[in-house]
Amino acid sequence: MGQPLKRKEDLRLVTGLGKFVDDVKLPGLAYASILRSPYANARIKKVDVSKAVVLLGVICALTGEEVAKLTDPFLQISPAPANKVKDYCLAVEKVHFVGEPVVAVVAETRGIAEDALELVNVEYEPLDHVLDARSALNPDATLVHEQVGSNLVFHGTWNYGDIEGALKEADKIVRAKLHFHRFSSTPIENNGVVVNYDRATGFLNIYCNNQMPMFCIPWLSFGLKFPSNRMRMITGDIGGGFGTKIISYPYIALICLLSMKAKRPVKWTEDRREHMFANHGNERSFDVEVPVKKDGTILGFKVDAYDDCGAYTRYEPAGATIWAQVSPGVYHFSNLKVDFFQVMTNKAPVGPNRGYSRMQHLWMIERSVDIVARELGLDPSEVRLKNYVRSDEMPYVTPSGGIYDGGNYAESLRKAMRLIDYDGLREEQERARKQGKMIGIGIATAVDSGTNNFGQVKILTDDNPFSGNSEAARVSIDGLGQFQVGLGTVPQGQGHETFAAQIVADEFGVSPDQIAVLMGFDSAINPYSHQSGSYASRSAVMGTGALLGASKKLKEKVSRIGAHLMKTKAEDIELKDGNAVDKVSGKKIPLRQIANVAWVNNLLLPEGMEPGLVATHYWKPNFTLPDKKWRLNQTLTYSYQTHIAAIELDPETGKFRILRYVIVDDCGRQINPMLVEGQVHGAAAHGIGAAMFENFEYDENGQLKSNTFIDYLVPSAIDMPHLITGHLVTPSLFAPMGIRGVGEGGGTPLGAISNAVEDALAPFGIEISDSHQNPQHIHKLIRDKVSKSKREN
Amino acid sequence: MTPKKFDYYSASSIGEAIQLLHDKEDAKVLAGGQSLLALMKLRLAAPSALVDISNLSDLSYVREDKEYLGIGALTIHDILEHNQSIKKLFPILTDAASKIGDQQIRNKGTIGGSSCHADPAADLPTALAALDARFVIHSGKGQRIVPATEFFKDLFETAVGHDEVLSEIRLHYLPPNSASAYIKHSRREGDFAIVGTGVVLTVDSGNVCKDIRIAYGAVGPTPLRGRSVESYLKGKTLDDKNIADAAERANEGADPPSDMHGSKEYRLDMMKVFTRRTIKMAMTRLK
Amino acid sequence: MKSVTRSDIVQVKCKINGKEYTGVAEPRLLLVHFIRDELNLTGTHIGCDTGHCGACTIFMNGKTVKSCMVLAIQAQGADITTVEGLADGDKLHPIQEAFWENHGLQCGYCTPGMLISGLYLLQRNPDPTEDEIRRGIEGNLCRCTGYVNIVKSIKAAAKKMQSEGGKSAQQM
Repeated sequence: MGQPLKRKEDLRLVTGLGKFVDDVKLPGLAYASILRSPYANARIKKVDVSKAVVLLGVICALTGEEVAKLTDPFLQISPAPANKVKDYCLAVEKVHFVGEPVVAVVAETRGIAEDALELVNVEYEPLDHVLDARSALNPDATLVHEQVGSNLVFHGTWNYGDIEGALKEADKIVRAKLHFHRFSSTPIENNGVVVNYDRATGFLNIYCNNQMPMFCIPWLSFGLKFPSNRMRMITGDIGGGFGTKIISYPYIALICLLSMKAKRPVKWTEDRREHMFANHGNERSFDVEVPVKKDGTILGFKVDAYDDCGAYTRYEPAGATIWAQVSPGVYHFSNLKVDFFQVMTNKAPVGPNRGYSRMQHLWMIERSVDIVARELGLDPSEVRLKNYVRSDEMPYVTPSGGIYDGGNYAESLRKAMRLIDYDGLREEQERARKQGKMIGIGIATAVDSGTNNFGQVKILTDDNPFSGNSEAARVSIDGLGQFQVGLGTVPQGQGHETFAAQIVADEFGVSPDQIAVLMGFDSAINPYSHQSGSYASRSAVMGTGALLGASKKLKEKVSRIGAHLMKTKAEDIELKDGNAVDKVSGKKIPLRQIANVAWVNNLLLPEGMEPGLVATHYWKPNFTLPDKKWRLNQTLTYSYQTHIAAIELDPETGKFRILRYVIVDDCGRQINPMLVEGQVHGAAAHGIGAAMFENFEYDENGQLKSNTFIDYLVPSAIDMPHLITGHLVTPSLFAPMGIRGVGEGGGTPLGAISNAVEDALAPFGIEISDSHQNPQHIHKLIRDKVSKSKREN
Repeated sequence: MTPKKFDYYSASSIGEAIQLLHDKEDAKVLAGGQSLLALMKLRLAAPSALVDISNLSDLSYVREDKEYLGIGALTIHDILEHNQSIKKLFPILTDAASKIGDQQIRNKGTIGGSSCHADPAADLPTALAALDARFVIHSGKGQRIVPATEFFKDLFETAVGHDEVLSEIRLHYLPPNSASAYIKHSRREGDFAIVGTGVVLTVDSGNVCKDIRIAYGAVGPTPLRGRSVESYLKGKTLDDKNIADAAERANEGADPPSDMHGSKEYRLDMMKVFTRRTIKMAMTRLK
Repeated sequence: MKSVTRSDIVQVKCKINGKEYTGVAEPRLLLVHFIRDELNLTGTHIGCDTGHCGACTIFMNGKTVKSCMVLAIQAQGADITTVEGLADGDKLHPIQEAFWENHGLQCGYCTPGMLISGLYLLQRNPDPTEDEIRRGIEGNLCRCTGYVNIVKSIKAAAKKMQSEGGKSAQQM
């Protein structure tokens, strides 16, 4: 605990022995390929697969018409009428976004399956389409799903304190219209599914890389009309998830149907282009009003938020409630009104993406705070220090009932300012400006809320059947005294095997090398809850809670056996160095001996004790349901980070580069500092990539322009700056062992970089209102400003 | 991900390649494959046959001939990047080659393949246009030499006929007091250019421009020579004012495309910016 | 001249990690699929369609190439090294050790390609600067680490390899 131990998983990963889903090979494996919609919105008039199915090597094809007969639409958690959305694994009667799956083909090789797609004939009747959230709300807007009667998924008003009073009391009302763009974390491994429908046992054996496979079970079971107790979900190594591998259940359902129809095991591996069409993060635009005092005090925030969730609600509208986890950001204003509209458009359905729904909200706040600073003529660091929640206010209850579990935001900013030499940079900026060079410095502080309370979706409908959170762990000692651990968390590179070993080793007084942690996840072998998985930065916290619970149960039994054998009291037993030690007498028995008695020598057990040394624990955090005003603590832990970016911008081209980048992170007590820093780096890279390079841009026909890595620009090592990191450790007041979830980072770089860009452009007086910085747009902003000034002079 | 089916021929000589191309109507030459295979995997290109010439190892060389530097068409970008003769004589080519894609792409992509693929947003075609390179083309009837001004005909189209093979690219030596440079303006280092600019210039004493060639990439279907810029600067001193005035003429003849990384207006502006910058960069290399 | 029509399946013989392998391929089969599916060496990965991500990077005849941008049939007679060939039996290659010790990987998906590219860089430039390292792995995308620890790992590998007298660099 607290040691930067090398990861157990790494040995197989550096030798190329990892087991990813495309590595799964089964006898008789066949391959699937998917034909996708070329239209943003169209009726399907005819689907003709007759030529495709007779191509040599093709086994079968599947159409939407068949899917509508074989399956029920996927569960919807939206309130009416949005719950009338019919979501199937293949488009039924209509396509709703470019890239929507329409027909699937199974063949002996993936090449033949792809060839067969070209022989499928689909006749479409293109319809008008709608591509942005605000216009999708117009009464005469094209409907994405006609039977819903509207494109609105959910409208909620969060109203706390007295925002109208704050607006009246303000010395100034700062206004902004902001836009948060569509992007995704694009893990290097795409989605993949292998399904073997075993007719002999009636089991669906599903190999996939979904991050929360057991959570998907209701969607799959009800959708496929297939009994859940005969579905086995197996994941191995996963090549990154970041949230994007949560909503893959439509694909899983599709491959299940294909395996059943083909009577063969079927593999589908997603092409990169397919991934780009169908895995986006939420796009959101904001109208913001911030009442402030001259001295920089922020009195509140009034926000209209329009969230574009694309053509289907697959994890949505959960996102419509999730931003409220961090409703005031890191500031202690208590007047807050948010009118949140989640709207469907004919764009790719969104799914959770690293920082899901909070990062949009946090970016809006951080961008607004800098606009406040600018309009009041104050330094952005000053405004933040003035308005941060103070460390002596912790635990801090936010307007929406969130309970921040500790932290010192002011100290994180001060530390970051020292690390980057903020004052020195401001001086350098002054000097540079005199030479016509544009240096910009941008700060952002964001809360990285982790371990979510599913009860937040009861805000959508009272009877939404989800609440709380839970995780499972099993610790066992076999007959020879060897440890084995099974977890429900589904790792995608976060080092679960390593930290699980560290925790259990500490509990039992043995070395982590003696703990064998089951790799991956198999529902027939691992313990799990239906909320198990790796998402919402919850694995460290939830996994720890479950591991500690299981360890405690097992330690108790081990101690009782040890005490019985040594004829002492269980309370006096301590586990150390592989022995059970009687603290009073100093006598000790090796764990190996206790294990022997428990398993094969059980007549020596205490009276009435059952044999075996296995303990499973299901852990849940203490959460509550939302009250009538939608107040509840939506996550257990609140890590936070302060980022400062220093950039140099070339006014002639609009391009900029990062001169220096600093991150100060506080995730409470660190289980493994090396893993923490790795998460901090990775989250920062996603945010920097999104701010500077990555954008899912659509044209006016609803065609996705950036659908390969040619145009969707993932930063390489040469595009990423070196990251200077510092840490604070203020233990969580609520989570087991004071640890907090880390890993999403809150999208902080988006704030730091957009703030830095505006700061660099300050001599022009240009406001930055987008989370994505495209040099040609910056260039245009400068040009327009310069010609406007020329005209006015 | 999987290309459509095709026949595959591995040629063991240029003559064989030419014969195969002649016989198969829809065949394409496979050199490094770093451009062609990407298109075929996306099924944006589907030739019915590939004639693989990548094994013709005697087409990879950099040779100082009497009047020109001869570069074999199958010379990979990595060699172009590190070759000392090129760096000394034509650093514009070093600049351009070093910015192509990444190390793995440079280990396989070839100067001939890049030239014949003729993507205007690629780096080598622009640099070769500025160098006024000569392209040696083999056919069944013998060999002919085509200057850069005639080689790049249209988007993805060159003077190389269907049953011809490019074998060598010749760069005629520059007079003394010459210098060259290439700057790629792109969002990330290895991307295709939003605007690529190549300059080759010669001065006499006092920095008066004796000759200058400037070529732009990604501003039209082929690399574009900036004739107006060139004619303005010839005979003038290469000082800031003249360079800036010349740059204002950069847009003549340009009809850039618009995409998410560069609108037409943006590219037109960048042509001016990089005219200035590339000329200045070349001038730093004057001795 | 070697000619293969589109429906032919040919035998492709090559040396991989010092061992002779024979597999079958149609002309359009990509080398990465040949290695993964035909020869069952699944350490080399696929992450994109356009030759950008580098997860498929291998050594072919001494140079790093993206095996998704090469046809299997072009590997006839080639000398190939994949990630599975870096270790010497149970003894990890210094670059593998360095990545392990410096947390140069998280999900491990880009890692095989990253190791190969890192090793190629160190073969040509045994003591690279940070900039040179970043440039050397420009063709290998990672979405987990932000590259900081990858750069650190390659620097550490350089030190290890230099102290071994450059033996491990030459084994390729």
